[in-house]
Amino acid sequence: MADYAFPHRHLLGIEGLNRLDIETLLELGDRYVELNRRRVKHADVLAGRTLVNLFFENSTRTQGSFEIAGRRLGADVVTMPIATSSVKKGETLIDTAMTLNAMRPDLLVIRHGSSGAVKLLSRKVDCGVINAGDGTHEHPTQALLDALTIRRRVGDIGGMRIAICGDILHSRVARSNVACLNVLGAEVRLIAPRTLTPPGAAEWGAEVFTDMRKGLAGCDVVMMLRLQQERMDGAYLPSAREYFHFWGLDEDKLSHANPGAFVMHPGPMNRGVEIESGIADHKTRSLITEQVEMGVAIRMAVLETLAKNAPDIGAKNQ
Amino acid sequence: MSGRTVIYNARVIDPATGRDETGGVLIENGVIADVGAGIAKTTAGDVKIDARGKALAPGLIDLRVKTGEPGSENKETLATAGDAAAAGGVTTFVVMPDTNPVIDSVALVDFITRRAESVAKVKVLPTAGLTVGLEGLKMAEIGLIREAGAAFFTNGDKPVEDAGVLRRAMSYAASFDALVASRPDTPALSMNTVMNAGAFAARLGLRGAPLEAEWIALERDLMLAETTGVRLLADCISTARSLAAVERARKAGVKVSCSVASYSLFFNELDVGDYLTYCKVQPPFRGEADRMALIDGLKRGAIDAVVSAHDPQPTEDKRLPIADAAYGAVGLETLLPALLSIALREEIPLAVALKPVTSGPADLLGLPQGRLAKGAPADLVLFDHAAPWACDRDDLSSRSKNSPFDGRRLEGRVLRTWVNGATVFERG
Repeated sequence: MADYAFPHRHLLGIEGLNRLDIETLLELGDRYVELNRRRVKHADVLAGRTLVNLFFENSTRTQGSFEIAGRRLGADVVTMPIATSSVKKGETLIDTAMTLNAMRPDLLVIRHGSSGAVKLLSRKVDCGVINAGDGTHEHPTQALLDALTIRRRVGDIGGMRIAICGDILHSRVARSNVACLNVLGAEVRLIAPRTLTPPGAAEWGAEVFTDMRKGLAGCDVVMMLRLQQERMDGAYLPSAREYFHFWGLDEDKLSHANPGAFVMHPGPMNRGVEIESGIADHKTRSLITEQVEMGVAIRMAVLETLAKNAPDIGAKNQ
Repeated sequence: MSGRTVIYNARVIDPATGRDETGGVLIENGVIADVGAGIAKTTAGDVKIDARGKALAPGLIDLRVKTGEPGSENKETLATAGDAAAAGGVTTFVVMPDTNPVIDSVALVDFITRRAESVAKVKVLPTAGLTVGLEGLKMAEIGLIREAGAAFFTNGDKPVEDAGVLRRAMSYAASFDALVASRPDTPALSMNTVMNAGAFAARLGLRGAPLEAEWIALERDLMLAETTGVRLLADCISTARSLAAVERARKAGVKVSCSVASYSLFFNELDVGDYLTYCKVQPPFRGEADRMALIDGLKRGAIDAVVSAHDPQPTEDKRLPIADAAYGAVGLETLLPALLSIALREEIPLAVALKPVTSGPADLLGLPQGRLAKGAPADLVLFDHAAPWACDRDDLSSRSKNSPFDGRRLEGRVLRTWVNGATVFERG
């Protein structure tokens, strides 16, 4: 597997990756976990390469994670301040892309509020593009870090029964995770009220439940999703307290999963809405902080892999 | 209620099974212990009641009642509505949420339940608003309220106009398999109308509600029920085409049931006659062809529930020019006599005519009552199925007297009513 040549220039989604692609990234991620636990966390594989972070949506952990990943690999990392940039002055997305492209970065990490926007940008630039979340479409590095987290705990994800619970409808994390876990051979379940269940979810290769207790039966891993505040105002859900009563992860509901089942959450959490604090902070069952650690490692793996595939910058224009 | 009560020499009618035979019912501890031809004067018991050949059926279940409690107790309270129900042979009724405040929370559902238990002679089930304050904007806490005991969710007489809100509320309700009732109406077409639109309304010079007001809303509701998978009760449909639409949807697998107000089976638009404000109701009395189509539906078993649509209004809100008068008619005491009159006139077997007021609504709500079965609660009504009488509003138990049946002749009268084996009404 070490000799396997990752065949993609961009990482726009889990969709389109095969098992070998995913496992290659996980293997490399595993190695970077070890590096990150040393006192000196430095590799020089990206020395001289430029990584640009372009976050059109506010983000703390993902943006920080990519920055750290890039710096540990020795890249020159630039985070574009979108909030005060020309984008605010009315520049179109394409013009921004052309401008950045002219600066000849090697890798571009993009988060954008519109589904498909990252793919659009990837067609206009010469460097490798990494989707750090586009609208309600995909968030591939989250799915990969989740898979790495689970794999390091249970060994083989194949045959594991994994539930993804909450606002599936608006979740790019859920879409990427379903695709990733399916490729790795897990049995995936989706648990949500009908208003937050996407049409056709039953054809995603996952079993769909509305009753959380039934859905959690026999699960080895429970992945909770963040519920956005604006969903609780009566349009999709009547109230936060009703949501917690029926779909918030508490001791009682978790007792329906397998004994010792692991609990995950991509963060940031709404404690008391989708998850009870006692579970979020559980010493042995909660993998939530571990997910953050794996995030840096998997992003290092992604950056290194795509940097190898990035073409010689500017070749097209000469 | 301890001891054994034997009601014998009765014409025992059980719509759930189609039973119609001479016999009786044995009541033990408030529950039906036995039923059928085997129950006779000789059956062992502490109390024996000779039914003298009169009809004995399950107490009626009425899926649409308004009281004024809380907020308008001058119209009707849970206690006076309970009295009216008992006098009408209704042993369970469902109250609508459009009170002041609106029943749209766990606490208010709990209030209605407890209040009714302490003051009403019969069983009362609360419903809850589908949207907060019936404003049609935000869905109510459907899951928690359902656990608190709401029979179903409805926006009452204020239809949810925003299809997006309705679609999400239905979809969410489907998460719990909750029943959603919707009275199909398009306010843009029916606002400020007095009666059915047509030649007669035109001659009277009154604004009429067109049939499309019902059709458009019903078709929308049926489509949303189909796509969301919710259980829908099309509440108080009043036209031939509405019934056909419900039957078509049901055949296509949509989980839809329908109710019809008893006045829609009894009256047509001509009964509004001399500007009678007691005949100003929503939906309005329709044309004769629509009325006959609904009666045909009753014969065929296509109507799941016949309701009183009991809506008490005090004199000051009714003794006005018809355009200014309030909508609504009381109906708890005339629900059974109206059905019995229709059954007699249209030659409908009693076990068929009574199904939509007994096992029909019981099955919709998953209730144990509404049937003469061993183990079911002894909620019973004894009636003379053909006794002629003239309705006089002053004799009604309701606090409000706005009955369109005032002065009309009816066939069929309640003699005695039992709830959990205890007599709650007996005609003197």
